[in-house]
Formats: sequence, C-alpha cells, structure tokens
Amino acid sequence: MSSEIEQLSIEPLPEPQEYVATRRRQGPLLEAWRRLRRIPTAWAALWVIASLFAVAFLSWAGIPLTPYSYDQTSAAILSSPTWAHLMGTDELGRDLLTRVIYGSRLSISIGLTTALVAFVIGTIYGASAGFCGGKMDSLLMRGVDIAYSLPDLLVMILVGVLIGRGTLGILIALGLVSWMGTARLVRAQLLQLQHEEFIEAARSTGQGSLALITKHLLPNALGPIIVALTFTVPSAILSESTLSFIGLGLSPPACSWGTLASEGWRALRTHPHLILFPSFFIFLTVLSFNFLGDGLRDALDPRTRIKS
Amino acid sequence: MFGLAVRRALWAIPVLWIVATVTFLLVRVVPGGPFDAEKNLPPKIVANIKAKYHLDRPVLEQYWLYMERLARGDLGVSYKYVNRTVNDILADALPVSAQLGSLALLIAVMIGVPLGTLSAVKRGSLTDWTAMLLSTAGISVPNFVIGAVLILVFGIWLKILPVALWESFRHMLLPSLTLSFSPAAYLARLTRASVLEVTEKDWVRTARSKGLSSGQTVLKHVLRNALVPVATVLGPLTAILITGSFVVEYIYAVPGMGRFFITAVTNRDYDLIMGTTLVFAVILIVANTVVDIAYNFLDPKMQVKS
Repeated sequence: MSSEIEQLSIEPLPEPQEYVATRRRQGPLLEAWRRLRRIPTAWAALWVIASLFAVAFLSWAGIPLTPYSYDQTSAAILSSPTWAHLMGTDELGRDLLTRVIYGSRLSISIGLTTALVAFVIGTIYGASAGFCGGKMDSLLMRGVDIAYSLPDLLVMILVGVLIGRGTLGILIALGLVSWMGTARLVRAQLLQLQHEEFIEAARSTGQGSLALITKHLLPNALGPIIVALTFTVPSAILSESTLSFIGLGLSPPACSWGTLASEGWRALRTHPHLILFPSFFIFLTVLSFNFLGDGLRDALDPRTRIKS
Repeated sequence: MFGLAVRRALWAIPVLWIVATVTFLLVRVVPGGPFDAEKNLPPKIVANIKAKYHLDRPVLEQYWLYMERLARGDLGVSYKYVNRTVNDILADALPVSAQLGSLALLIAVMIGVPLGTLSAVKRGSLTDWTAMLLSTAGISVPNFVIGAVLILVFGIWLKILPVALWESFRHMLLPSLTLSFSPAAYLARLTRASVLEVTEKDWVRTARSKGLSSGQTVLKHVLRNALVPVATVLGPLTAILITGSFVVEYIYAVPGMGRFFITAVTNRDYDLIMGTTLVFAVILIVANTVVDIAYNFLDPKMQVKS
C-alpha cells in the first residue's frame, strides 16, 4: 500500500489505466486466479482435471480403486457394463474400468511430459532467436518453418518407429513436433517486449543478457506461454491416442487410453462399450484442458483485464 | 505479389531437399528392412532382391541414386506392390485423398463459418454458449471416436450408409463427415473470435448509426473484414486435414495417400514412404504459400508495408 501512496504523490493525476497497472504489479497471478474462478467452464474443467490427476496418482501409488487388478482376468468375458463390471470386460475378461484407470497414468503423464519438453526446448530456442535477432533469428526461424512443413503425424510415425514404439519413443516423437509453437510464441513475445521501457531500464543497470532474459523478459511473457502449454497437453494426448489407434504408437502390453480404444475398435460391431469408454475419457481430458486453456487465456490477457 | 510467389517457390526447393534427405536417412536407420519378413526365402534370393533395388550398396550411394532419380521426377518403385511404380500409386491415391479432403473442407466451411458468426453476433446468449461448447467439444474428440460413433449409428444401427471403400458418393459421406469435424470446430472458434474483434471497430458503429439493420451490418461490414484472418488459416487447416486423413482412410479403408503411407511404414517400403512424405510436404508448402500471398492480397495494410 505504501508504495502505491508514494507513487500517487509523485504523479498527482494518475491515469486510470496506470492505476490498474499498479494493482497488477502487486499480484498478477492472484488476480488471474480470481478471474479464472469467475469463468464457469474453466473452473469446472479445473475440477475435472484435478479429479483425473488424483485418480491417476492413486493408481500409481498402488492404492486399489476397484476390486480388480489391471491384468486380472475373470470368467465374465466380453461382458457388457454390469454392477460387477461398471464398464464391462474385454475379450480376456479384464475389467475395463480398472484398465481405464490404469491407462490414465500413461495418457496423462505423456500429455504433461510433452508440455514440459515443449516448454524447455521451445523457450530456449525461441528466446535465443528473439533475443539475438538479425541473421541468427531468421536462420533459427527458417528451421522452425522447415519443421512445420512436415505433417506432425508423419514425423511422429517415423521417429516413433525409429526409436522403438515404447513410451520413450513416443515421448521423444511427441516432443519433437510440439516445441515449434512455443518457440514462435516466445520469440514473438521477446521481440515485442525488448522495446518496452522497463527492459531498457533493466539493460541500463548493466545486467547481463541471461539475467535480462530470465529475470525480466521471460516472466513478462509467461502468461501466453502458460496458455500455449495448456493447449499442448490435450494435443499430445490426442496425438498419442491417434498413433496408438492406427497401430503405429504404443502397443499392448503398454496400456494407455489410446491402446484401449485401439483394442476396442476391433469389437466395434459387437461390443461398442470397449471403444466408447476409453474414448470418453480421452474426450473428457482433452475437453477439460481446452476449456482451461481458453479460460487461462481470458484470465491472463491484459487487454481484457483493462477493459473490464 | 508476383515477386513474393517466385521467392516462395524458390524457397520451397531447399525445404523439399532437406525433407527428402531427413526422411531418406530416417527410413534407413529405422530397424527392420523391407524384405525382413520373407524369412522362408533362401538368403541367396533375398540378396538378389536387395541387389535389384540397390539396397546392398552403401547408404551414401543409395542416397545419390535416389536423388538422381528424384531430380528426374522418378519416385522409384514399390517393393510390396510389385509392378507398380510409386508415381503410379500416388497418381491413383492423390485424387482420392484430394476428393476426401476438399469435400471435408467444404462441409467444414459450411458449418464452421455460420456457426462462429452466429455465436459472435449473439455473444453471451444461450446460442453462443451452446455453439462454443459444441465447437470446443469438436476440437477435443479424436477422429477415430467420431468415426466409430458415425459407423455405429449410420452403418450398424440404421444401416443407411456404407462404412468402407470409395466407390460412389454415398461411400464418401461418412469419411468426409468424420474428417470435417475438427476443422469445422476450429473454423467456428476462429470465426467467432474474428467477428468479435471486428464488431468492436468504430466503422461498425458508424454503419449501425447510419441506419443499417444489424443483419446488413454483419453481412456487409463485419463479415467481409472478419473473414480475412479466417481465409488465411488454410495452412493449419490443410495440416489438420492431412493428419485426419491418416485415421479416416485407415478406418474406412479409403485407398488414399494416408492409408498408403501407413502401410508403407509398416512394410518399410522405402520409396513409397519417401514419395508420400514428399507429396505431403509439397501440399503443405503450397497451402502456406497460398496463405501468404492471399494475406498480402486481402489485407491492404500488408500491401503498403511490403
């Protein structure tokens, strides 16, 4: 509060927008959080994501959520949903609900890891391009253009087959096609921010390039980066399930929502529940992340903040 | 504008060369070769087959041979579809995929643009809310799920549409509908954002204040400007369609590029993988170039700058 009063005494007639800017400096994340809570779809999505994470975490920690283990067979083969098996069973008599919960670990961790990889590679690459500028910038960005001119799925298939169709192979393949968007975004943000007065001020205090990037440029570009990463998670989950579905991604015994849907596809005519339940969870997760991303974009966008 | 087109076309050559080189190396370092499955063949015959396709030579020499043929427009032969050149296969498959893609694009534009406009005009209403819920759901559903549901409903329960092959217009309906789903949702979201942005412009207020009805304003002043950014997403849309075509052609057994690519990867059919990859790259580059040129053409501000 005291800093605000000081500022007021220096500037006798503050513009309303400057006042907003001052308030924002006190807690941009807190305010974004408050704004996010006011968006019903984003708030609901956050709860769904939290529940899915909790279930995946409990499953990973070995706490049984259903009376079966994920590879436990029973006499009820290809059973439709019943009280004993809420989502039915597959052709080996394994409980589908248990397998969907088990598969959530892999699907969710693939989504999160890909976002992390995209963040690290994309930020370093984009920051180098945006900060260096000139020839270096155009060279690096031509690299992004080339990477963009290949269809994602094609690269993922080739790289996935190359490294092996295990989890690591898929993760590397997904990481390789997901960083370009973040790189472009970080570069654009940096180019824009570099001409701001506060960066000039920071530069004039004699700070090194790295400190300038990490302390002043990136924190101010964080909003759009977070939004982009929120959209990376669902697209990674979609890509993994699509790859596994056409038989070029993970394959059994690996168990993700994609492999489950792929197995269910073969019984579409007779036992549609086998594809519909895993698909529903892919849909629910991806939808939630998309709603959360939309909400975060609105909550973090300074333009909408000043308007309202 | 002509200069830009020429520059872009020249730039495409090194890009295609890099794509060809990377793919060439990728398919050769991938474990497993095209003739590994024929375990029952005597080693002598396998060696002869490999010699026939120059697969016994060092990779660098193979690369040189391939590039030489590629420069003449010869994409090589398929190892699995004996007697068919890659050029032949692609000449059959490309029109099928192009038909599927353009039909899907048409459906997507016809659904997406009106839905997005309606949503923006009725901002905050129940219509807007429903339309945005639908379109966010649309970009969240994997293609194979839409395919599965459409097959279940129209093919298996109602039995009114064929669920496989590519023979008549009726065969095209389910695949194109499946493929159009995510681009339609993507277009709806984009159109809404774009229309909303234009609606806030001063000249829209001017148009309203000079007595135009809201419908006329939307059609004559808002939409014409709002569709500029929408028209320029052809690039990402093409990418979405290509990715979708892999799944859709796989599900509905459509003899198009996507399906040939998947079988080629499974069979390690080197030249066919190369050929399809290059054609996909050309399509994407052309789409992005058209976008860049269209952007210059549609937005007068860009013209002044360049």
